[in-house]
Amino acid sequence: MLTIDRVSRRFGGVYANQDVTLEVAEGELRGIIGPNGAGKSTLFNLIAGHARPDSGAIRLKGRRIDRLPAHVRARLGIGIVFQGARTFAGMSLLENVMVGAHSRTRAGLVAAAVRPPSQRREERRIKSTAEECLERVGLLEWASRPADGLPLGQQRRLQVARALAGEPRLLLLDEPASGLRARERQDLAQLIRDLARSGVTVLLVEHDVGMVTSLSERITVLDLGRVIADGTPAEVTSDPAVVKAYLGTGADHAAHR
Amino acid sequence: MIRRIPPKAYLTALAGAAALVAPLVMNDLTFLMRMVLAAIVVTGLSLLMGYAGQASLGHGAFVAAGALTVALGTTRMGLPPLAVLLAAPFVAGAFALVVGPPLLRLRGHYLAFGTLALLLIVQTAMSAFDALGGAFGISGIPPFGVGNSIFVGQLPYVYLALGCLGLVLVLTHRIVHSRFGRGVRAFAGSETAAGSAGVPVMRSKVAIFAISGMYAGLAGALSAFFTPYVSSDSFPAVESFTYVIMAVVGGLGTVWGGVAGAVLVSTLLQVLNTVSSQPGLPPTTGPIMQYATYGALLVLALLFMPRGVVPTLDGAFDRLAARRRAGEPA
Repeated sequence: MLTIDRVSRRFGGVYANQDVTLEVAEGELRGIIGPNGAGKSTLFNLIAGHARPDSGAIRLKGRRIDRLPAHVRARLGIGIVFQGARTFAGMSLLENVMVGAHSRTRAGLVAAAVRPPSQRREERRIKSTAEECLERVGLLEWASRPADGLPLGQQRRLQVARALAGEPRLLLLDEPASGLRARERQDLAQLIRDLARSGVTVLLVEHDVGMVTSLSERITVLDLGRVIADGTPAEVTSDPAVVKAYLGTGADHAAHR
Repeated sequence: MIRRIPPKAYLTALAGAAALVAPLVMNDLTFLMRMVLAAIVVTGLSLLMGYAGQASLGHGAFVAAGALTVALGTTRMGLPPLAVLLAAPFVAGAFALVVGPPLLRLRGHYLAFGTLALLLIVQTAMSAFDALGGAFGISGIPPFGVGNSIFVGQLPYVYLALGCLGLVLVLTHRIVHSRFGRGVRAFAGSETAAGSAGVPVMRSKVAIFAISGMYAGLAGALSAFFTPYVSSDSFPAVESFTYVIMAVVGGLGTVWGGVAGAVLVSTLLQVLNTVSSQPGLPPTTGPIMQYATYGALLVLALLFMPRGVVPTLDGAFDRLAARRRAGEPA
């Protein structure tokens, strides 16, 4: 499904990703973990099209995608939930999710001006899709509320709903559980499991290691931009290199406090 | 069951009725015409600034493109007035499509200055090249008309402009509430997230810039028939600044904000004009008061109505309606 072949990306003189090689099978739920600054978000940006690799290749179902703009990759079935607040201010929750259906719909400027029946049918379809997606993340009752100033947990769920509206084949989740309460986390974990079961390939970056290990079949560990381990949750968590990377930063954190 | 008419529909109907009656009761039709033309330009500018989050300090460049289409089309090419009026928005839109891609790579203040530079370039080109009017401008634009019926006096122009404004408002409403419009509003919030939702950000940005340019071109075309003279002095930079002030005062991110801003600011300027032309006042009073008003207006608007007149009133109206509904027996 997704092949990342010796991809490197520098910012200034620092490697955010260096020779990252990764192979994800269709329908797989792959966890990606690593300490802060390991290059997880950069990797997602490279896959989703918000940064271009300096070298290496990214392929989706054998097709080279690393030079394509983000909206084309969305059309090819790549969806993403960003780490930060990336909701559309000034629009309602429903409209936010309706934008998510952009890659699956087509009406353009002329259709907007003329409003032929096909456009009105499509609008109705977009709206019902968006409502379904809001329902799945439990935000339907807030559909007409503006998305500005939403609490972090709801913002996360809104982003998930928006990504779902694009019917992704490959879903990138960058810390989707941050800011969620325990109950919301369980619901999200169940939603991710259901998605993977329905055939969606999921890449999950998460700080909650417990959540990643319980959900993923395989886990890739990044540290300082490189892949340092790759395997089942049990293999990875007992890997000395992984333990060292985590303990190392753990000690750093302790020193800073 | 009787379907209830939404209260805001009454307001729209009221505004429409006022627009139809105003030309009959007002004696200064030049003022009214300028106000309607400004409303057309500002509706497009408000679409660009409020919904797409892109600034333009040089919208006069597109007004000029529309006006030049009419002036050159009728006087040099002998085209029928209706044809040039219809062509003008498309010429201005095409101009925006050409200059848009490089300009829209700029952001914020840089884009504002870039668009201002565009206007200055257009002005310079118009005064430098005789083909665009040169030092003397283009006069002798024939009155507007279709076939044998030709416009006489100012009144028909005002109604034509009002009709165009209505069309522009309907179009704007439809664009905002469409898949395309949602994409535009989305990239104003986050270009990254919009891109990943499948919105072609750069293409949409250029498209909305072109729509906004088309509106300006339409206003320019109408003004060329009305005046009927076009020169490099017809589109001063201060007029383009006025459009921005009107858009901000009226309220960005609303369909009606442009109209409200154009009406309020034009009326205020007209009052000031009357005051400053009283006998005994020095001739510099007018411009000084105009600039002072712009400054004061912007400061007051940002202090008391940072969202602009229309959104503020709209919010108050919604609260009032909600209170009345709550008070109604079930």
